[in-house]
Amino acid sequence: MDSAEVEFLAEKELVTIIPNFSLDKIYLIGGDLGPFNPGLPVEVPLWLAINLKQRQKCRVIPPEWMDVEKLEEIRDQERKEETFTPMPSPYYMELTKLLLNHASDNIPKADEIRTLIKDTWDTRIAKLRVSADSFVKQQEAHAKLDNLTLMEINTAGAFLTQALNHMYKLRTNLHPGESAPSQDF
Amino acid sequence: MPATQMTMRYGHPEGHTDVCFDDSGSCIVTCGSDGDVRIWKDLDDDDPKSINVGERAYSCALKKGKLVTSVSNNTVQIHTFPNGTPDGILTRFTTNANHVVFNKDGSKIAAGSGDFMVKVVDVMDSSQQKTFRGHDAPVLSVSLDPNDIFLTCTISWPLLQKCNDVINAKSICRLAWQPKTGKLLAIPVGNTIKLYKRETWKNEVDLSDNFITLPLNVVTWSPCEKYLAAGSINGCIVVWNVETKDCMERVKHEKGYTICGLAWHPTSRQIAYTDAEGNLGLLENVCDKDGIKSSSKVSGMGNKDYNDLFDGDDDNDNADNSNFLNENLEFQLTPKGKTNYEDDEDDLMLAAGYSKHRNHILEDDDSSVEVASIEKGSYHEKDEEKDEQTHAMPLMTSQRPFYDGPRPSLPQKPFQSGSTPQHLSHRFMVWNSVGIIRCYNDDQDSAIDVEFHDTSIHHATHLSNTLNYTIADLSHEAILLACESTTELASKLHCLHFSSWDSSKEWTVDMPPNEDIEAICLGQGWAASATSALLLRIFSIGGVQKEVFSLPGPVVSMAGHGEQLLIVFHRGTGFDGDQCLGIQLLELGKRKRQVLHGDPLPLTKKSYLAWVGFSAEGTPCYVDSEGIVRILNRRLGNTWTPICNTKEHCKGKSDHYWVVGIHENPQQLRCIPCKGSRFPPTLPRPAVAILSFQLPYCQIATEKGQMEEQFWRSFIFHNHLDYLSENGYEYEESTKNQAIKEQQELLMKMFALSCKLDREFRCVELAELMTQNAVNLAIKYASRSRRLILAQRLSELAVEKATELAATLKEEEEDFRNKLNTSSTTEWSQPMVVNHKVEENNAKDSEEDDEIEEKTDLHKNKQNPFCKNGNSADGPAIKSVTSSSQGRVNPFKVSASSKEPAISVNSTSSNILDNMKKLSKKSTVPNRTANKEKSLVLKPLIPKPKSKQVLATNFFQTCTSQTEKIEEKENPENSLSESPALSAQNIENERPKTGFQMWLEENRSLILADHPSFSEESDIIKEGINRFRILSDEERKEWAKKAKGGTTNEVEINETETKKRKQPSNDHTKEKEEEKTKENVNLSKKRKSLAVSTNQKLSAFAFKKD
Repeated sequence: MDSAEVEFLAEKELVTIIPNFSLDKIYLIGGDLGPFNPGLPVEVPLWLAINLKQRQKCRVIPPEWMDVEKLEEIRDQERKEETFTPMPSPYYMELTKLLLNHASDNIPKADEIRTLIKDTWDTRIAKLRVSADSFVKQQEAHAKLDNLTLMEINTAGAFLTQALNHMYKLRTNLHPGESAPSQDF
Repeated sequence: MPATQMTMRYGHPEGHTDVCFDDSGSCIVTCGSDGDVRIWKDLDDDDPKSINVGERAYSCALKKGKLVTSVSNNTVQIHTFPNGTPDGILTRFTTNANHVVFNKDGSKIAAGSGDFMVKVVDVMDSSQQKTFRGHDAPVLSVSLDPNDIFLTCTISWPLLQKCNDVINAKSICRLAWQPKTGKLLAIPVGNTIKLYKRETWKNEVDLSDNFITLPLNVVTWSPCEKYLAAGSINGCIVVWNVETKDCMERVKHEKGYTICGLAWHPTSRQIAYTDAEGNLGLLENVCDKDGIKSSSKVSGMGNKDYNDLFDGDDDNDNADNSNFLNENLEFQLTPKGKTNYEDDEDDLMLAAGYSKHRNHILEDDDSSVEVASIEKGSYHEKDEEKDEQTHAMPLMTSQRPFYDGPRPSLPQKPFQSGSTPQHLSHRFMVWNSVGIIRCYNDDQDSAIDVEFHDTSIHHATHLSNTLNYTIADLSHEAILLACESTTELASKLHCLHFSSWDSSKEWTVDMPPNEDIEAICLGQGWAASATSALLLRIFSIGGVQKEVFSLPGPVVSMAGHGEQLLIVFHRGTGFDGDQCLGIQLLELGKRKRQVLHGDPLPLTKKSYLAWVGFSAEGTPCYVDSEGIVRILNRRLGNTWTPICNTKEHCKGKSDHYWVVGIHENPQQLRCIPCKGSRFPPTLPRPAVAILSFQLPYCQIATEKGQMEEQFWRSFIFHNHLDYLSENGYEYEESTKNQAIKEQQELLMKMFALSCKLDREFRCVELAELMTQNAVNLAIKYASRSRRLILAQRLSELAVEKATELAATLKEEEEDFRNKLNTSSTTEWSQPMVVNHKVEENNAKDSEEDDEIEEKTDLHKNKQNPFCKNGNSADGPAIKSVTSSSQGRVNPFKVSASSKEPAISVNSTSSNILDNMKKLSKKSTVPNRTANKEKSLVLKPLIPKPKSKQVLATNFFQTCTSQTEKIEEKENPENSLSESPALSAQNIENERPKTGFQMWLEENRSLILADHPSFSEESDIIKEGINRFRILSDEERKEWAKKAKGGTTNEVEINETETKKRKQPSNDHTKEKEEEKTKENVNLSKKRKSLAVSTNQKLSAFAFKKD
């Protein structure tokens, strides 16, 4: 799975928008949306929100956690704790990225939020790296990683499993290799 | 001029504090529980000098550069002032001293302590001290007589409760001698100040005031001995004039903390006070009115104040206004506010009074204070002079204490609904369901931004605000702006009519001079402005001046919707914080009328109007400052029903919801949550939240209460449908039907619930609210749950309802006839269609009901005659019930059948007519014969329409058949809802085999008419056999022949048919001719001929089928 796919999944998350048009309920495979009343907040999936925003058909209301104070708290908590702390949304990174890219005019202090999310992300990825490192070094059979989001798993997961495969191969080759004829060459 | 209360400031950590002035009054000295003595240059001194005297300081006294404090190490210390260097310990106690005072010349101090002892010590020589023992309680406070003769101390004074420790004492009871003459000793006892005469120790006077509700703590004399100030443990400070015993000032501590220190400024009119929480406060201009200050100044200030409060011209006032809007009714609400207000009132009189005495006062008073402090001797004279003055102006002094009734509240300023206060530099001018108008008032520029929720109405616009527009409104058609007049420019109304189809989209109108626009609103096709001249001006949206009329009072706010104009105005003066508002509702459409004639507007106690407008559906609503939303209930004589309490939804105490719109369908209250304020800021852009409505019904937690609330809410929120239909607006039928269905369901639920609880009486009460169908259901429910009495009652109710319904229908019918005479076809035919639609739905419901009914009634039909339908009628009345129960399908049929027995034939005939239609519609092959048979027999039975009514029936039947679609839909349901007996009959109709059967079919209705009690098919057959036997042989043979012959005889039958068919149509024409003569000539020929022709067409249609 690549990050584009993860982002695709994240686009199903609901966000609140304020439409500036009027439309009856629309019936989609994924569920019914609307009705859209001008000036009245309504919850829609992220993909629709971004689409409407790009057409200047709505204003996006940032999710509740997308607030400098709250994010600072989360960042500090993340830095303080050894383990991963729960994130406000399982798609916090994707949501932030998409919303800030497309609707930054509707989000107060967009730049600060971007930095804060990036900080949190970096902290978490660093933690992940450290724990992967120790995992490999100590040759553990399993590790428990709570509160990781899909995107984070995705960044480390593919590489880690592949790396482990390689190491496994190398290790298994090493053992028989001692007595293997190849050594004799 | 009332005492100006400066805001309190932090002085010490919480705990007991004391305060005094230095000799010249240049600084305030406080001590507190942190053991510090602070020296304040004034109240705003941010860097007071602190002297640490110990761990806790209990009391301090200052005289002649010596600062004496009693501190927690049980000592009384002396410090130099203002340097604060320690100057030794004066005396010690075994516990801490509670109070320490200087004598008049500063040579001695007296200190009272918790160890029951009082010591008097010479300041210069601390070895010179006297100890007073013998008290049998801790000494709360001490006071030295100015003449150094008496020392008084409060301990176990018989008037006071004895207590074993200072902290337990209710009041610290700081008593005070008159500072100069020492004639009187003032002691706070409970809620009063007792004045004791020197030497006789007689209780001379009690000073008290209603304002004081809790015991007084401290008392202090003014340096001139004329006034006495006292502070209570709940933060009241009251000042009396000792001579007149009038209460001069009443001030309430802003937080209501205990006043524990009180000191008069030695020269000026200031009182410094401290509270038990360590705060320091200052009252300025205390008792100014008695001419201590220059009176000209006083009167000037009084006037200004008055202007501030009432006139509303200067900037100050704008701030006031906004305050008023935003936050602070508290200003009025707190007792403090009351006093202020009252004082203002008095000042008006004072100002007047003073002008008379100005010269006189000016002379002596400027100097009086200084003189008093220097020349002791002349003081008395001055004092007396002043007394004379007060007597000379009895009005002003007597006014204050004697008037204790309700106080008028400040009338609310005019406002636009959905706007934020004017003094804000960024504010909303309007936020409504159409869009938002924001106003920016920066230093550089001032601009107005208009934004529409729905961009398809109009794009967002940006206007520069050079004229300083302050009032705005927004609708689908236009933007309306208004500004107040300035010195050069008149008040202006500016309309941006963006929906205009021509190229000029703006117009402005100047108001006449001295007339300011105070409120504006937009409706559909019109704009209105209310002005300060109490005029309401209506303009067309294109700028044509229309009606002008006078308002009954100063406008508060206005709202428009469609043709409706809502005006809220001041009906009079409110008292004790209440507003006294009236409301007018006008309709400006074709039919101009006044719906609400300036009725009083109910508001929550001590609240003001915060929002007024219409729901999206056009029902007037308003919100008061307490967050109660009320809506007009047109079905209860235009009363106001509270539908929501937004405060209940608030999390914090100071949170509010700022209402922007109300929708009845779906039920939504659109508002903006504001944290800690009444209105939202423009940035960050606030988001709308939706609240649900809830009527304040009792016991909402119980199922019963819930359902009742739901029922009445649904009832109220569908009132607008009635209004819309009344006024000829379009609306969706489905919503109405849904509403009725919902209401009936709720009623049924409540019915079932009360049934379960054995509340049969209540059941009947509920049934009274039900529609006919629901009542039938209820009857069924009752009989099934074996409540026979209830079922009986309900059936009686059902009969009543049916007759009522019939009566109203009859009236309606007559109405229709009247209309017929005057109006054109289209006008009445439309509502007819509407009617049918409704009924169609009803019929559906009833169909369902009846299906169930049929099952149960197989067993129970004896109990419940109403389930039996049409033909089985027990009596005319009951018959009418049944027919009307489904009868709303065809109201005209009902009315016919509801006639007295004499015409009951009609009813049967019309029933059969219906049957015929049914069958013809089915038009299957086997039916044909039956059809023929029917129509054959029908003819003799068709009554010659004798009355107008019958004609009408026929007429309308044809009319309805014009709208065949509806009919066709309607009839199947009709047929289904007929009783099983009838359907059985139909089945028989399909295959008439023997002559008798055919005969029976023909004559069934006759039999039924003669024997209305027959309900069973077998009875009818029996009777039929009897009759058939009576017939002659020939006739019988003919019937048999017919039965056998079938096709062969068809032609013959057709012939007879046509003959007979002609007959009724002839009848019709004859009838109509009669009618013509009888009736108005207006009854147009055309229509009749149309009716006839349709009749013929119909019959032709029937024949074609054959």
